[in-house]
Amino acid sequence: MTEVVDKKATSTRLEIIRAAAREFAVKPYSLVNLDDILTHADVTKGAMYTHFRSKHALATAIVEHQIDVVLTAVDKLQTSYSSALETLIDLSYLDATADMSDEMARASFNLLESVGRFDGFQATVLEGWVAAFSNLVRQAIADGDVTETSDPVAVGRLVVSMFLGLRQTSDLNEPKTLIGDLEATWLLMLPAFADPRRLEYLRGFIRRRSALAIRNTAPLVNRNL
Amino acid sequence: MVRQARSEATRQRIIDSAVDLINEIGYPAAGLADIIERAEMTKGALYYHFDSKEALASAIMDDGGTRVLNAFQAAGRPGSPAMENIIHGVFMVTDTVRKDTLAQAASRLMRTFGGFNPAAKTAYGAFLEAMTSRVKTAVAEGDVRADIEPEVIGRAIFGAMLGAELLSDALSAGTDMGKQVVGTWEVLLLAIVQADSLNYYLEFLSRQSSRAATARPEDT
Repeated sequence: MTEVVDKKATSTRLEIIRAAAREFAVKPYSLVNLDDILTHADVTKGAMYTHFRSKHALATAIVEHQIDVVLTAVDKLQTSYSSALETLIDLSYLDATADMSDEMARASFNLLESVGRFDGFQATVLEGWVAAFSNLVRQAIADGDVTETSDPVAVGRLVVSMFLGLRQTSDLNEPKTLIGDLEATWLLMLPAFADPRRLEYLRGFIRRRSALAIRNTAPLVNRNL
Repeated sequence: MVRQARSEATRQRIIDSAVDLINEIGYPAAGLADIIERAEMTKGALYYHFDSKEALASAIMDDGGTRVLNAFQAAGRPGSPAMENIIHGVFMVTDTVRKDTLAQAASRLMRTFGGFNPAAKTAYGAFLEAMTSRVKTAVAEGDVRADIEPEVIGRAIFGAMLGAELLSDALSAGTDMGKQVVGTWEVLLLAIVQADSLNYYLEFLSRQSSRAATARPEDT
């Protein structure tokens, strides 16, 4: 019996998170109000407050949900024989395409920038992100793709900064532009830390992913028209 | 419900026992009496599940074939070009056949039976279809030559890999399978990949194989 209740509670919670993501994906944090979310989620105000005591709690939950999604994707990317630098590049493409086409991802990147700057939440998430990327760079050094003189944490930080900056300066509604910018930035950064003998291959690896990402991404804005 | 679970466990135990024997002494030498003895089952239990030795072999080919196909499919990632997924998929299949005793026995049986057994035919057909569908995508992505039918390319890849496996099995008891597969791929890539993609895929192959060799040092 408790199990049934738990299951129902989990699905209600997820429904609220999804409805909220739809709002946070298209509106700035300050303009989102809980009543709009209630209308979308088809739950009572009481139910909502059982799960989330504030807009901030809801925002945090969306980011945490998205982190789980990404971690699962990372596990899938790291198949046998995959190279760490390739995984890192794949992850950046995965994040970029999700940011364009998936409401949960878009909302969570938006929220990461707008909430939690003062309560340490943002710092915790970004630290985890940089740490995960730095680990991949460490493995990439062992794989021979990244030069031994590179500082893994600095490279990890650079890639995270590149992505966060790009989603501000580029166009999230135009795959050609965002992916084009992502590719250009990768090609620019690579010689700074990649083994020169691997550069040609890695450039090919990046270009192939760009072509696929541009072809296969349906941006949110076009879908809503 | 309980009975059904027990019956399923019995069936599995017979299959496991047959798989071990086929891998150790080969299908022809593995008699039903040996299989029953190893499984610690009665003749009745075996005949309840399988009409004949060949029915048992068909079950192994069905189950093992599915496992091999799943390994190939799971190796495909949506953000990666299809040609990468094909090469990576073949590495994963080779690994599965090496490490998974059921898949290993199934591939031996398929070679033994070939077109004479419907289970072998079905498993080969399903794999060929999966390969051809990847090849079609790779053609659309511009990596693979468009002037040859995708089915022909799929067949050539699959056939060459089966042949490489057979030769490696016969000549070195399967110990140099990794090396054989890479050598065969090099020739295949020259034949099927578009000129401007060739260097990239030769490098992709060499990266895959060197990482595979690190993962199983006994192969080098």
